[in-house]
Order: sequence, then C-alpha cells, then structure tokens
Amino acid sequence: MKTPPLLIGAALAFWGWQTGFLIPGIIMGLSLEAARIVRARWEFSDDDLHRIWNLCLGATFAAAIYAFNANEGPAEFRDLFHNPGFMSQHGAQFATARTTMSVLRWLPMIFFCFVLAQTYSPRASVPLHVISFILRHRLKTARKLGAPAPVSRTFNTAYPFFGLCLFSASVHSTDDTTFFWGFCVLTAWALWPHRSPRFALALWTAVLALVVVLSYFGQRGIGQFQSYLGNLNPQWLGAFARRRFDPTQSQTEIGTLGRIKTSPRIIIRVEAPSGVPPRRLREATYRAFKNRTWYSEFTENDFSRVSETNDTTFQLFDKPVPETVRISCYVPGGKALLPLPRGVGRLENLLAYNVWKNPLGAVLEEGPGLVVFDALYGPGPSMDSPAEDVDLTLPERDMPALEQVVDELHLQGQTIDQALQTLSRFFSTQFTYSTWFEQDRSSHRSEPPLTRFLLHTRSGHCEYFATAAAVLLRKIGIPTRYAVGYAVHEGDGKNWVVRQRDGHAWTLVWDDRHKTWREFDPTPAAWVSMDARQITLMQRISDLWARVTFEISKFRWGQSHVRDYLLLGSVPILLLLFYQVFFRRRRRRSIQRGTNSRSIDWPGFDSEFYQLERKLAVLGLSRHPSEPVSMWIERISEHESVSEIQGSLRELLALHYRYRFDPLGLSAADRRKLQSLAGSCLEKLEERSVPEPVSR
Amino acid sequence: MRLLFKFLYRVYRFMSGLRYWGYRRFTRAGLIVLCGVFIAGIFGTDSDNNVIYQGFTFLLLLLVLALCSSLFFRARFSAIRHLPRFGTVGAPLAYSIALKNLTSKPQTGLAVVESLADARPSFQDWLDFQLAYEQRARSFRYTQGKRSNPFRTANFKIASVPPALSDQEVRVECELTPLRRGPLRLDGLAVARPDPLGLFRAFARVALPQSVLILPKRYPLPPIALPGSMKYQQGGVALASSVGQSDEFIALRDYRQGDPLRHIHWRSWARAGKPVVKEFEDEFFVRHALVLDTYAEHSHSEAFEEAASIAASFACTIQTQESLLDLLFVGTQSYCFTAGRGVAHGEQLLEILASVRPCKEHDFSRLERLVLNHISKVSGCVFVFLDWDKPRRDFVGKVRTLGVPLLVLVVAEAGRAKRVNAAPPADRPERFFVIECGKVEEGLALLE
Repeated sequence: MKTPPLLIGAALAFWGWQTGFLIPGIIMGLSLEAARIVRARWEFSDDDLHRIWNLCLGATFAAAIYAFNANEGPAEFRDLFHNPGFMSQHGAQFATARTTMSVLRWLPMIFFCFVLAQTYSPRASVPLHVISFILRHRLKTARKLGAPAPVSRTFNTAYPFFGLCLFSASVHSTDDTTFFWGFCVLTAWALWPHRSPRFALALWTAVLALVVVLSYFGQRGIGQFQSYLGNLNPQWLGAFARRRFDPTQSQTEIGTLGRIKTSPRIIIRVEAPSGVPPRRLREATYRAFKNRTWYSEFTENDFSRVSETNDTTFQLFDKPVPETVRISCYVPGGKALLPLPRGVGRLENLLAYNVWKNPLGAVLEEGPGLVVFDALYGPGPSMDSPAEDVDLTLPERDMPALEQVVDELHLQGQTIDQALQTLSRFFSTQFTYSTWFEQDRSSHRSEPPLTRFLLHTRSGHCEYFATAAAVLLRKIGIPTRYAVGYAVHEGDGKNWVVRQRDGHAWTLVWDDRHKTWREFDPTPAAWVSMDARQITLMQRISDLWARVTFEISKFRWGQSHVRDYLLLGSVPILLLLFYQVFFRRRRRRSIQRGTNSRSIDWPGFDSEFYQLERKLAVLGLSRHPSEPVSMWIERISEHESVSEIQGSLRELLALHYRYRFDPLGLSAADRRKLQSLAGSCLEKLEERSVPEPVSR
Repeated sequence: MRLLFKFLYRVYRFMSGLRYWGYRRFTRAGLIVLCGVFIAGIFGTDSDNNVIYQGFTFLLLLLVLALCSSLFFRARFSAIRHLPRFGTVGAPLAYSIALKNLTSKPQTGLAVVESLADARPSFQDWLDFQLAYEQRARSFRYTQGKRSNPFRTANFKIASVPPALSDQEVRVECELTPLRRGPLRLDGLAVARPDPLGLFRAFARVALPQSVLILPKRYPLPPIALPGSMKYQQGGVALASSVGQSDEFIALRDYRQGDPLRHIHWRSWARAGKPVVKEFEDEFFVRHALVLDTYAEHSHSEAFEEAASIAASFACTIQTQESLLDLLFVGTQSYCFTAGRGVAHGEQLLEILASVRPCKEHDFSRLERLVLNHISKVSGCVFVFLDWDKPRRDFVGKVRTLGVPLLVLVVAEAGRAKRVNAAPPADRPERFFVIECGKVEEGLALLE
C-alpha cells in the first residue's frame, strides 16, 4: 500500500508541532516527501537495511538510558531500594512513566533513518526478516545448512511510520483539542484511497463528519470521566508527584511513629569560591502552626514575578552581596522552589524561563530540569517581609506546656540574644535528637505531640526543635517563622553536597532592633554526625553514579559547553559524510540512466586497433552496431582507401583478438608487432584523401 | 489436566474463529484501524502523559459506524461455481463463479469471499498435535518455526465483482491456494460490500456447497533407475498390453540391473556409449511396490504429509507404460492398488494418495504382513517410512533376506534428521535416504 502524497510529511510536521520538535519534523517530512521529486535511488541490500534497523534499535536503547537518567530514574530506583515505601514506589513509577513517554515521543526521529532508507531505495517494501530477529535467525540457519531461504513477508514502512508519528504526537499532556483535529484530518487523509467506489464522495464526507462530531464529544466525555475518576482520590494522583516543599504549607512529621525515612540521594551541589558555604539553604518559610502543619498564609497567587536584568540575572533584593555560592540542583517537573542562602540578593547565570518570589523569601523557578546558578548573598536585611501579628500566633492546645517551659527557663523578660542562648542551651543539654518514635503508652499519650516533646519525651527531630523554639519565642513576644530547606555540612573535595536526608527545619527570629530576620537552629548539632554514620560502600558507589548522572544532566539541560563543542566537532564529520554519500558512494544509481555507467577495465582495452577503428569511422567507414569486427573488415576491404591495407588489417585483427581475449595475452614481440602494424595502417590512411561513404 | 486442555481447546476454537471472521470481514485498512483502537485503548488510560484517548474515540467510532452500516445491505444473488476436478497442495487453483444479481438495482464495488467448511480439528486431534509438538520442541528455542495454522485448509483471495445490472449474470475470476490434501469443502460464498469508509464488509451469503479433491504436492525426482529386474507375472499377456518380454521386439531402453545379457543390443551400446537392451512383449515385466508408512504420530503430522507427497512424486514419475506400480499401505484395512500397463493410471494413484489418512486402527505388523504377502510378485520395493525404529529396521531386514532390492526413504520432522542418521549403519540397506521436512526437494535430488 502506497501512502497518499504528502501524508507522511504532514504527519511528521504534525508530530513536530505537538511534541515541540517542529523544525526537525518539517525537515524530516520534507526529506521523505522529496523522494517523489528526486529520481535518484540508492540500492540497499537486506543486510544494509538490517544494519540500519540495528542502528535504530541501538538509538532507541541509548535514548531509553538517556531518558531514564534525565528523568532521575536511577535516583528514584535507588530510593526505592534504600527506603522501600509507598512514596519511593510511586517515585520509581513516575520516573519509569516519564522515561517511557520521552522515548515514545522520540520514536519517529529514531526510526526516521530506516524509513528514509526504504523511501530512497528502489524497493516498494522491506522483507520482514530485516527487522525480525527470529526470522533472521531462521534465514541464517537455512543458509548455513544450504537449505532454501524461508519465504519472508514484506511490508511497506510508510503506514506503520505514519501510525507511529500519530502515536508519538499524542505523547504530551497539553489538554487542548489540537491533537484531536490533527489526528482526524490525517486519518481521513490516510483513509481516502481506501474508500469504497460504490458510494458517492458526499456520503463518504458525511459519514466522516458524523464520526468527527461524535468523537469530539466522545473524547471530551472521556477526558471529563477521567478527571472525575482522578478527583475521587486526589491523593492517589498526588502520589505521582515528586516530594518537594510546598510554598503554602508544610506538613511536619511531628507525632509520627516509627522511623522518619531519609534518603542519601544527592540533590544539591554547592561550590563556594570563598571556601565557606552557607550553613543552610532555605526553600520556604511558614508563619502559622496548626495541627502539626505550618502554613505560610499566602497562596501561589502571592508570588510576584522577578524580572531579569539580563538573560540570566535576577535581582531579588537590592542590597550589598559580597558572598557568592554556586548552587546546582534538579528542578523536578521543570518548576520548583530554589534552595537559597539567607540574605540572598541576586541570582546570576540562572537559565530560567520564569522566576517568582513570595513575601516570605521563597523563590520559585520555572526552567530546565537542572539549574546551575550563582547566588549572591550577604548579611543584613533580606527579602522577607517584616514581622506581623501572624508571626506571634500560638497553638492553643500547647499553651499550658509553653507556659510551663517559659516559667522553667525564666524566658519572660529576656532579650532576644539571652532568650536564644537559653533555648539553645536548653535544647542541647536536656533534649536528644532522634528519628525513631515509639508508641507512647504512658498517661501522657492523649497530650498534643509538641507538649509531649517539651515536657516528657524530650527527643525528636529538627521539626520538633524548630517548631518548639518558634512557639516558645512567640510566647515571650518575639515574632518567629518556621523555615525549611537543607543543611550544608558534607564536603566533596573542594565542594559540598546536599543529600535528601539533609532536609532540615529551623527558626527565623525577628530582630526588632535591626529590623531583620535572624536564623536560629535549635536542633542539637549531633544530628549531623548521626546521619553521617549511615555512609556505606554502596553509598559511595551510588554517589559516583550520581556524579555521572549529574554531568549527563548538565549536558542534557544545556548547563555545560559540551554541546557547543560537539556541534562544532560534528561539522567536519557531517561534511565528510556528505562527501561520502554524494560523491564517493559507488552504489548510487540513477533510475533515469538505463545503462550501467561504471568504467570497466577490460584486458586489451588499450589496443591500438581501436585508434584505427576510429580513424576509419572518420573516413566514413564506421562499423554498424552489433556488426562483428571481422565482417566489418570484410565489408570495407573492397573500398579503395582500405584495399591497400586489407592484408595488414586481417593480421592486425588476429593480433587484436588475441590481445583482447586470449587468457595468455600477447608476447612482447607480438605486442610490438600490433603497435607497428596499427601505426603503419594509420599512416597509410592519413595519406589517402577522404573517401566517399560506403552505402550500407 | 484434561480440563485445562479442554479449556485451551475452547480458546483455540474461539480465537481461530475470531481470526477467520476478522480476516473476512475487515478490509486491510479496517484491520489497521482495529489495531489503532487497541493501541490507543491501552495507552489512552494514561491521560496524564498522553492524549491518545482523543484518537481512540475517533478510531472506535469509525469502526462502530462501519459495523452499523453492514446492517443495511439487503442484496440477493445466485451463483454457480465452476470448479476443476482436482487441485494440488500449494498450487493456486483458478476457477470462476457465475454470479447473478437478483435485485432490482445495479450493484457495484462488490467482492466475493469464499466460505470454507469448518476444518478445525476435533479435541482429540488437536490434543495429539499439541502434545506431539511439545515433545518435539526444545525449551527456549523460539526460533524453531511452528506452523502458524496447521489446520488451515486453503488460502483464498478476495475477488472483486464486476458491476452487475439487475438480473445480470457476471463472471467472477477467483483463486484459492489449497494447503492440505484431501477433499476441500466449500460451504458457500459471501458477496461482500465494504462500508463507505472502506473498513468493514457486509455480507450477502449464497449457499453453494461443493468440494474439490486436492492432490498431494509432487516433487521433481531425478531420473532414477529403480531397483529390481523383470519377473513372471501371473496376469500374463492380459496385463502386458504394452511392454514385456516375448519374441516380438518392441523397443530399446537403457540397461537395468538384472537384465539378461543376451538382450543387450551391442550396436546401440557402441553408438550410445552405455548399455542398451531390447524390450519384448511378454508376461515378464517389471513390477515395483511403493510402500507408504501410515503410522503417523497424529493426524496432522507434517512428516506424514511429506511422505504422501513423496509417494505421489514416485507415482507420477515411474513410467507406468513400462512397468507396474503397486501402492501398498494400511488404513482402516490393508490396501494394494496397482497402476500401469493399462490397469490404471498414475492419476488414480494420486487420487488415492490424496485421501490416505494416518492409521490408528492397526499396528505396524499389519503393513509388514501385507508387504511380505505381496513381495513375491514385485521386482523391487520403495519404502517411504515415517520413522526408523526397531520394527521398521527388522521389517526391512526381512525383506532384504528375501533378496528384493530396496530403496528406503525415511521422512523425518524438521530438525530431526540427525537422530535418524544416528541409527546403527549395519541396519542400513544400500539405498537408504533420510529426507527432512522442509528440505524434501534437496533430499530427493540425492536419489540418483
């Protein structure tokens, strides 16, 4: 089955449009459709096509590996093995799904070579054993045994490729109807040659229009039905999303039993030119604590866009910024909060499409899946909004406990510095850091978790400490906020790495005298060493792999200059290939030329007899097509201009035949004789005037 | 276990029926759309990552409308099928159908689809075939070819019908390729009308039961000199209508082993450079036995089909003008058919071979008795065996002790020829060949 004109080209352009590869799609489409104009064809043997097919399969495999890395597959699966659980399971599923979708989207590009080869070959179809391992194996076995080759079916790649283009074009999540209309048009185009001649064109059009209308409402119905199903269990859908900080709220693990799961996956890399990195990188800040959850009391609408001063520089807050730190972090889904040091004023070298910030100092970025940028920061004021009344709100249920601790520590009336010192001492001496929580079977089990932490258990993780410090300070009238982000403490050569388990919470305390927020980390310093004990050999191997994937991701997301070098380096290779394909390829065959144009190096081709033949042709005694040379000589021997040399001619012909066809060839003497005879004949012919042409 | 096999058999019947229905009903474009519906249906469930569900509804409705349109085809036809008497396995069989439009409207854009009789095997036959395949197949050898549909009787081409006015009779040229020997039964035919989109065919059925006998496939045999010399035949001159040995000279022919030296025509030998003998009319003539082993593993054995084809090749090739050929085999009873010298023609042997079925009623000794009773009449024997086990080796040994020249062919299933070769060489007669299914032609070429 041949496809209608321009169908494949249109399908490729449609695929390019839908998946963001418009230019490649158009170029590929034009390349295939140009075969209708270009008459030149290249002969590809079955083995050639099989090699091209293998190349396509190899490219698919490479694309799968690349997509798996780009979609953080290794990290998610590492998480799954380190911390098996519902979240890590869905993280792995999500990475797998994204990998699959990426590869499916690229398939037309990957298999384009194969279709191109068939299009520009004289074949109308390709044998199935070219692509089937099993059939090829059978063919090889038959060849080896000397048996006749099994009959292999053939197929035209055009329609499968058309279907592949349509399928790949659908691999995106844009919820509009452009795909639907394009799909309808292209399918109708493909069905056009197969319509029944029994029915009028009007009926065909009417039936098709009816199908389009019904399916339009049908697909909308399906979309709504799926949304309905999804809304039945939003948690199920939400589980596919990657765990990250929410700028509007932060649900703590306060009160959770069992071990708090932490992952050793490296998620941020930090380079500090000064040699000292910021101790903490903040992602979000919250103000109100209710029922184990901190709320920012802002929505996503409160984020304001940060305009760039040039393409890669974003001014967040106007202040002196003497310190610089280079931060590399993944941006899951292309949009996430940036981890930033306190007092950040400007972001440089940030390849982002959009940057927003909220009044609590959270910076939201939309861009590639990996960003590498410079954060310029310094002491002094920050972009956080000043303290408000909401920064003094207290959880009602924990009030008795707070009053008891404030009394116990005599906090009331202390200055901010004194209060921070007191609390720091209180937490470091009377509390322990722990990520394991057992069921409380004492009489206090009905009390709120924070109260139990302050009065009874006195053991917890950073969220307990940060929350407790925040509410205790609020109790004595000092505005506080709850900050989340990552602690930077682990060196990696000259740089630092931040793992998922380095996620941390701390407190921002309002310094009314300097009108600025100060960071206060009440968590005992032992938590760092406790986590560091978990480093194993496997951890080091996975760190090495993380480094590799990080470098690949840098290349993938355009955060390195390798692409430029590769592009420049590919130019001479492309030129060489171009030269090979168009000027050196021997098997190129023009279908316009019926004859074989190869130069043939026959033995005896340099015989001087040919000079004589040409000379006689000039004299009007040319040999007729298909006339044997001996008969030709007999025919012209009667002519007066040849009569003089006819004896020599016969001898010359005998020598010429021996020179041309005798496997032993001529001896040196005979060769010289052939030359001299031909020379003398030519001289005699030169002396004669041009004769009358011989009648045929 | 039997319950499981019964269930699998039901699945097989359902799937093969579905496939038969699908290939007849859907056009090629329709099959592609059907595949598209399946793919879009599978991937469309993940609407978070793709929007193929939009295409799914379109493709599905295309098929639904095409299916609905098939309900509105009310044409009536009568037909006469002009079938030849015989067909051959693997050879396209061309025939014509005279189709008459019985409606008051002209009909265009139609096609004829043949309805073959249901050739699906019984449960026992199906089970025998499956068990035999499983015993033969090696684990994880997925490159071993398995016959995709061993029970299919024929492939037919859908033939287009020329435009037919009301009450007009048109001639439709049809072609089918038989795949199995024996009677090929056709239940009727269906006049098909594709829907406006060209995806699905509506049928107007015409009952037209007919059958055609499909002869076994024949292979070219090299010019072989069959073993054995002339023997006295009791039928005498009544059988010797053409060739024999008497005082009346008939013709010259090449020397065969056993010919008396006095019949050598020396002058012809001198001219031809090879021994040539004179032939005379008499009751002494060559008579060969072609013994077909019918003790196959199961009724759809490929080796048995090839054995029948090889026997048919011999029946066609042996000059029955010059000799007699006895076909011996055991079916529901013991059979011996004689052809040649005016008794019967080779074509009649082919008809018999077209209907031979594997023997399940008797054991191998029955064939042994049949041949040994007959052996005194024949000049030589050609055995076509399906195995080379001890009973067969013993049987061949007995025949050899009687001094009858033999040609033994053992047909092995594909890939099992080496196992036959592994038998002790001492048991092999001087003319012993193993022929592997799939390489029969090459195997027969070695017979010279």
